Amino acid sequence: MNATPLIDIHQITYTYPLQMKANSPAQSLKALQNVSLQIQPGEFLAVLGHNGSGKSTLAQHCNALLIPNTGHVLVAGLDTSDKILHHAIRDCVGMIFQNPDNQIIATVVEDDVAWALAVRGLPATLIAERVEQAMTAVGISHLRKLPPHRLSGGQKQRLAIAGVLALRPQCIIADEATSQLDPLSRREITALLHQLHQELGLTIIQVTHLLEEAALAQRVIVMDQGRIVMEGTPSVVFSDIERLRQLSLAIPEPIELADRLRASGITISREALTVEAIAREISR
Amino acid sequence: MTYPIISVKNLYHTYQSGPLQKAALVDITMEIERGSCSAIIGVTGSGKSTLVQHFNGLLRPTSGALVVDGVNVKAKGGDLKTLRQRVGILFQFPESQLFGHTVYADVAFGPRRLNLSKSEVRTLVLHALDAVGLPPRQFAQRSPFELSGGQRRRVALAGILAMSPKILILDEPTTGLDADGRAEFYQYILHVQQKDAVTVILVSHDMSEVALLADQLFVLHNGHLVAQGSPRAIFTQDTMLHEWGLIEPPLSELLLLLRKQGLAIPERVFTLDEASSVLQELRTIQHERNNV
Repeated sequence: MNATPLIDIHQITYTYPLQMKANSPAQSLKALQNVSLQIQPGEFLAVLGHNGSGKSTLAQHCNALLIPNTGHVLVAGLDTSDKILHHAIRDCVGMIFQNPDNQIIATVVEDDVAWALAVRGLPATLIAERVEQAMTAVGISHLRKLPPHRLSGGQKQRLAIAGVLALRPQCIIADEATSQLDPLSRREITALLHQLHQELGLTIIQVTHLLEEAALAQRVIVMDQGRIVMEGTPSVVFSDIERLRQLSLAIPEPIELADRLRASGITISREALTVEAIAREISR
Repeated sequence: MTYPIISVKNLYHTYQSGPLQKAALVDITMEIERGSCSAIIGVTGSGKSTLVQHFNGLLRPTSGALVVDGVNVKAKGGDLKTLRQRVGILFQFPESQLFGHTVYADVAFGPRRLNLSKSEVRTLVLHALDAVGLPPRQFAQRSPFELSGGQRRRVALAGILAMSPKILILDEPTTGLDADGRAEFYQYILHVQQKDAVTVILVSHDMSEVALLADQLFVLHNGHLVAQGSPRAIFTQDTMLHEWGLIEPPLSELLLLLRKQGLAIPERVFTLDEASSVLQELRTIQHERNNV
């Protein structure tokens, strides 16, 4: 792997300002406690954790939406504590959120994709070209003239991704970007993130509470109480189902079934984590 | 079947906005059994929310007949006040609707408007808080805003239970909750259904949730009722589900794949325990054959 990480998080601690004022024991209120993490260019990382585990707080440190109290974060070598660098950092690392409505601004799809480029004052021909490419990459070209409120949830999330993609970032963070979608759209958006990873070589950080989404990543970290408590390839992390359950994560039934069969002496590879792979292993 | 608590016959609902008309519900006929837990499933825009909003008179049918616990819901007239007392709806993200200074005040808001004595209100509120696992002694005087997301959602549920509804409608009740929050919430829903004999209607696109809780599923697609039956029956026929934009719960999906690959798994197999024992049996049989 590359020697210089795209995102280098070094021993960061973070407490939300409101909680700092409250006089309860400071220890328990830290949203992040001494977290270190390196993310390599071109990596697909999943950040797993239950509500309040600190996974979104960590993600927001990766593009300078939050600045650590102690420690530092370097994005492509740029220190997020330096305010002057924030524009450059956010051009490099884009973010999509749970509710796409929160980041859709314009009244027509193609205008929305163009928004951030127009704000930066780029020439019109260049904007047109980039908007075209971004819409094609996420598959919404046929919706270009529609008002965003006519789109389905999954289509809106694609639009949000296109808006970020038009800025040509090196990394996209998807913070629970599928959790308000129906199961089919959820899969489509996860598949789209993997497609962007493979075709454009983008670094992807997928923040999720779903094991079935994390199972598809190259590396998984699991967070609890503001710390990274597990780390490794999906097959390594998911080999300790009891631990994951204790961390308030729901175990998908196919993974649990594979585990039970394994316990009864049937050989099923630990690499098999998706429904298709488990089915292949069982019928072998 | 005993008396259905909700009976819908040839119901149509057409949204009118200016000159544009949109048929949101088309010729719906269905019955919901008293004391059951039913789920209405379908993709965004399939008509789920439109349908359940008829059940407490928030919407009226454009045509057709609807009787909810003996109350007629027609295009005009009808005793909708009584209906709304009997039918409680918990909307999506209900915790955003909390406003009381204390948990007690928030839950008491509804009952206080029923012309009851103070002590009657008190009884209703305390019972509701107990029912959702928030012991009044510990929670009644706290501000709802200092509770966790899952606890706040249960306060919202208590606010509805305090009205002693006969029918409880839950619209995507566990969206945004983590595994623990979900499991707890399910426990309280089942408790209310079984102990207080409340009829529960769930609107959800979480198929695992629906498979776990509901006795009866109703599938909506483009405003039409396209299927109904037990989760077991609905999730063992795959082809149509995909056409309606739905996918079966992951375990059912796995079992369907295994059947396609030629494994002799009976159709009745549905739960994790059943699947696990059937697959172990199959493996044993295979071993015995190999040894013969």
